[in-house]
Amino acid sequence: MDKIIEKQSLIGKRVTKLDAPDKAVARTRYINDMVLPRMLFGKILRTDRVHAHIVSIDASAAEALPGVAAVITAKDTPGGKIGVLRDNPPLKTDTVRCIRDEIAAVAADSEEICDEAIRLIKVEYDDLPTVFDCTEALAAGAPIIHEDCPDNIAMEQNFEHGDMAAGEAASDYIVEGEYNVHYVAHCNMGVSCTLADYDTDGRVTIYTQTQYPFNVKMDIAPSLGVHPGDVRIIQPPVGGAFGSKLDVYPYEPICVFLAKKTRRPVKLIYSREEEFIASPTRQPVEFKIRAGMKKDGTLTFRDCDSLLNNGGYTSWGATTPYVTMRTMTSHYTVPNVKYRARAVYTNNPFAGSFRGYGNVQATWALETHMDKMAETIGMDPVAFRLKNANPPNEITPQGSNLGCIDLTGCIKQAAERSDFLNKWHENNKGWDSSERFRRGIGIATSLHNAGGAKIHKSDGCGTMLKMDDYARVTIITGGSEIGQGLDTVLAQLVSEELGVPMRDVTIINNDSALRPWDVGVHASRTTYIAGNSAIRVARKAREQILKAAASHTNMTHEMLDLRQGYVVQAESGLALMPLDKILRQMHFAGEDAELVMATDYYEPPSEPEDKDHMGDMSAAYSHAAHVAEIVVDTKLGAITVEKIWSAQDVGRVINPVGLEGQIEGGIAMGLGYALSEELKIVEGKVLNPSFRDYHVMTAPEMPEFDLTFIETGDAEGPAGAKGIAELPTIVIAPAIGNALYNATGVRIDHPPLTPEKVARAIAEKNGRL
Amino acid sequence: MSLTQKIIFTLNGKPVQADAQVTASALELLRGAFELGGTKLACGEGECGACTIIVDGRSRNSCLLPAVDLDGREVLTVEGLWSEDGIDPVQQAFIDEGAIQCGFCTPGMIMQTKYLLSKNPRMTPEEIERGLEGNVCRCTGYKKIISAVAAASAVAAE
Amino acid sequence: MLPQNKRPPDIGEYVAASSVDAAIDALADGQGTALAGGTDLWAQKDSGNGRLRQRLVNISRVSELCGIAEVAGKIRIGALTTISEILESPLLNEKVPLLPQMANRFAAPQIRNAATIGGNIANASPAADAVLPLIGLGTSVELRSKRETRFLPLSGFFKGPGNTQMTADELITAIEFETPPGNFHGVFCKSGPRPALEISMVAMCLTGLLEGGKLSNPRLVFGAVGPTPICCEKTEAMIDGKTISDDLIASALDLMATEIAPIDDFRASKWYRTQMARTFLEAELIACR
Ligand SMILES: Cc1cc2nc3c(=O)[nH]c(=O)nc-3n(C[C@H](O)[C@H](O)[C@H](O)COP(=O)(O)OP(=O)(O)OC[C@H]3O[C@@H](n4cnc5c(N)ncnc54)[C@H](O)[C@@H]3O)c2cc1C
Ligand code: FES
Ligand code: FES
Repeated sequence: MDKIIEKQSLIGKRVTKLDAPDKAVARTRYINDMVLPRMLFGKILRTDRVHAHIVSIDASAAEALPGVAAVITAKDTPGGKIGVLRDNPPLKTDTVRCIRDEIAAVAADSEEICDEAIRLIKVEYDDLPTVFDCTEALAAGAPIIHEDCPDNIAMEQNFEHGDMAAGEAASDYIVEGEYNVHYVAHCNMGVSCTLADYDTDGRVTIYTQTQYPFNVKMDIAPSLGVHPGDVRIIQPPVGGAFGSKLDVYPYEPICVFLAKKTRRPVKLIYSREEEFIASPTRQPVEFKIRAGMKKDGTLTFRDCDSLLNNGGYTSWGATTPYVTMRTMTSHYTVPNVKYRARAVYTNNPFAGSFRGYGNVQATWALETHMDKMAETIGMDPVAFRLKNANPPNEITPQGSNLGCIDLTGCIKQAAERSDFLNKWHENNKGWDSSERFRRGIGIATSLHNAGGAKIHKSDGCGTMLKMDDYARVTIITGGSEIGQGLDTVLAQLVSEELGVPMRDVTIINNDSALRPWDVGVHASRTTYIAGNSAIRVARKAREQILKAAASHTNMTHEMLDLRQGYVVQAESGLALMPLDKILRQMHFAGEDAELVMATDYYEPPSEPEDKDHMGDMSAAYSHAAHVAEIVVDTKLGAITVEKIWSAQDVGRVINPVGLEGQIEGGIAMGLGYALSEELKIVEGKVLNPSFRDYHVMTAPEMPEFDLTFIETGDAEGPAGAKGIAELPTIVIAPAIGNALYNATGVRIDHPPLTPEKVARAIAEKNGRL
Repeated sequence: MSLTQKIIFTLNGKPVQADAQVTASALELLRGAFELGGTKLACGEGECGACTIIVDGRSRNSCLLPAVDLDGREVLTVEGLWSEDGIDPVQQAFIDEGAIQCGFCTPGMIMQTKYLLSKNPRMTPEEIERGLEGNVCRCTGYKKIISAVAAASAVAAE
Repeated sequence: MLPQNKRPPDIGEYVAASSVDAAIDALADGQGTALAGGTDLWAQKDSGNGRLRQRLVNISRVSELCGIAEVAGKIRIGALTTISEILESPLLNEKVPLLPQMANRFAAPQIRNAATIGGNIANASPAADAVLPLIGLGTSVELRSKRETRFLPLSGFFKGPGNTQMTADELITAIEFETPPGNFHGVFCKSGPRPALEISMVAMCLTGLLEGGKLSNPRLVFGAVGPTPICCEKTEAMIDGKTISDDLIASALDLMATEIAPIDDFRASKWYRTQMARTFLEAELIACR
């Protein structure tokens, strides 16, 4: 009997993650679990000073300790520096500039011996004058953190568009505000860990948690004194990354130095305390915003000046203004905009990249400010936002074409589903009530790149595909998996094109010696870019197979399709031959023999930002709106988030399970940012380096969720999808701040909204402080 | 070398023995001598639950449990849940519900779930949330984990 | 912990005690450290604060130290009883729900499965939760050593953080208090916002005999607002047997604020700790009406 196979699509189906079974049964070996033969352990001695000259280091007792294989200081290293501005020597030579600074390192047979050796190293310092505050660091006569940077300004970005004076003149109201956003930590459950292995020919293999494998080769090589081509990067499974591993950090070259010196593999792993003290943080920012509008709420201009506490060295934190700027200049339609950011060296710890990348900070400031503006003219927050919402295809001041966006739809959906306006008006009336527990509702939205971000010359990704005689597919992708679910998306997209079950697709994604180039996992880019490349490579393979199959029929290859392991006639679904059979026929065809192997390099149609910050840097953009309903204990200041409504433009839903997981997890992180998480840094020292004192969200604190996916169908995106992973973290915090105001009339401009801060603000408002 | 003590205990159903360092935690012993890497170290101070194992029927943070205290006890780690007979319904529920992202918290979550179900196979959503309050997950936002426990709970209640 | 700050213990001897006698033998020379659930001891192990003496005496298998029972009008709780066992105890849930109420706010399930009542008392943290309701219940602590067995009232047991009336050769074997009468009222409050897994920034226990909206023989004990648990005796006297009017509440709050001694630290300011203490007391006094 003839077999008819209907077209069945996996796109939009609930698909479980490919790596989940191994993780559930603990077959997955994380980098933290790795052991190499003859492996040594490495540890770092960090300074307890925030700014000092190193007078002397005496490591003789450590070197003499049995079991110690090597002790190194800066003098044992080639002297190259790392970091975005190459201002950070992995081991410090003569000056320490912040609390985490690396002084020496030890390799030994066990972690205990390392610890003991570290304790035996004696360091003498001469303390230097310190500065921790941006404004003080900018003042004349402030201590200079890096001699070659006398004004302490590590980086500066400026942008202006339109006519600011005209914008001001056209304004009926001008609202000003200041917002200081705080230090927070990534808190990956798997702490920082790296292994290094040196070969006889001077090549080094580094096992690391990096999200940026090909850039690591380039960035780490100078500090190691080796050619980038001689660095092989392997990325074993990791316990989270969230942006923390975008840059090279000192422990990575230090581990290589130890491996080089001992000619043995070395593993260096942090303790949780070290993770808190010595990891990059989210970039803290001090924002000043002035913004104008007409009586009817039309925005006239926006001016944002910001100072970034750059700490002792420059990592990706200093570059977050590239993203912040997009929000400040382009979120809502504003004709005249000005933006300035200065990253200022201080003796604080330094910041790196962190999910949301500068937009978490920007959106806190902007969306709090938007609510204040709406209040100034007596408009409700929804109407004010709708009035100024960017339309589809708007060309922003920085030259982005926003394309198929739906900010209006996001706002409307979130507001309608939450019955926002009724609740909001009702709560507003209760400000003077004596009720201890009060209800509030707040809304916020944001804009983010959803099709990568061309921060380098290329934002591309390569993919290689091969099929074997049994119709099993191997995809070697440039894209990186950090637990977010890339493998599953790729397998889903490839299986869709080739009509094979997902389990027959193997994804290889972790070895720079095998994989083609990619710029790493960040900027919500991976599904979009690696996904597109995977589709393209699969289409090439598909065409090769269908052409071969067509030669056995009287049809053209366009008339054929691949479904469920068969070549079928596209129109009727009639099965013509099993896929593995045609693959074998192709393989064993004598002189005409061919294997199915295909490659692709996908470069998204975006432009790098030019020196004036102009350019359509992402291939797609998207929005989300969040509404939060909270209950405030006006005595204790505790905020309970009861429910969150999220409406997000996702382009197209590829896999609801993965999508929901990213949104729920992102919101949980944003809730921590809003409510409880704060790395308390006083005079450069971290006061709360533990989960005991640094509170991430736990299960009982999670609110109810209502998630709406808005499908705008991106023309370029894989199956129409957009990048989605960062917006959830970005938008929620100001929605909660705005809800607090709705509940109590108390506005807190500087997060987190901890119980103490809220209780104080309410007591102050009531004159009871 | 610090003092060691010979201990004998039951590990995932099999009798085992070890020379445990008196200052070592059960976590170090399991990950080290027994190569049971499923039990994770994420804080070492009892605040995250990644190291959860079941000892004599009670869930414990193995990072705060002295290794020598395992002597004579019955110990279950995540590795003990997967056998020839198949994978544990709790593990299956975590897979099916999409409760696993990076997966680093997963073994601890699964072990805590096993424990909770052994005490109460019919948990309310609130009991599930409270039952997991000592297990931190940085990736998922807990919702899918809570659904997984509810699903496993439905299976266990049958 | 950073390697340079670690002070790992130097343990020269390990004793797995199988009985109280074996345990007090091993502690007799004052060179031993009792190990119960280990949730304090192991967490502080490398901090070098001197808790771990050279002999580790594991008491966790001493069955004489386990169990919750009511004998002759008294409730006796063995020192090894865990917070989970308190939470789950049918006897306590029926007769002293105050203790399960406290246990429900204590740490997380895994810690509750390990943490013992004896350890909570002996560790003498100013933020120890279990000691507050126990003081409210008029508990005495049974201490045994090779020299003697003695009972000390739990109020007055603490001298400072980590410091008690107990000597180095003593073992806490049990605690006892009279089964509270039917009109006993006891509540436990603790800083949040998490339902548990919070080290108290302020905790409070208020107990007494509640009759017709009046609380007699009240005990008002605060944790984490001083070096030891603080009993607010003046405030107790002020509210004892009185009708709880708005005026009385206002005066009681002010008086209580003079009795506690909260500090400013990075976890909470003195102002906020006082605010929490006032809020707890106000709400609980109103609830008595
Ligand atoms: C994550 C986490 C959360 C926590 N949350 C809370 C909380 O919410 N509330 C709270 O109050 N505490 C909390 N704690 C602290 C701790 O769990 C309790 O103090 C617990 O009761 C200690 O009991 P243990 O059996 O674990 O003591 P151990 O650690 O075994 O011992 C503690 C001390 O007491 C001594 N000791 C123990 N038993 C005896 C005995 N019978 N006689 C004489 N000395 C003895 C030991 O020598 C040691 O000095 C928490 C701890 C952690 C790690
Ligand atoms: S590692 Fe044990 S609780 Fe975190
Ligand atoms: S899945 Fe990553 S920590 Fe839970």
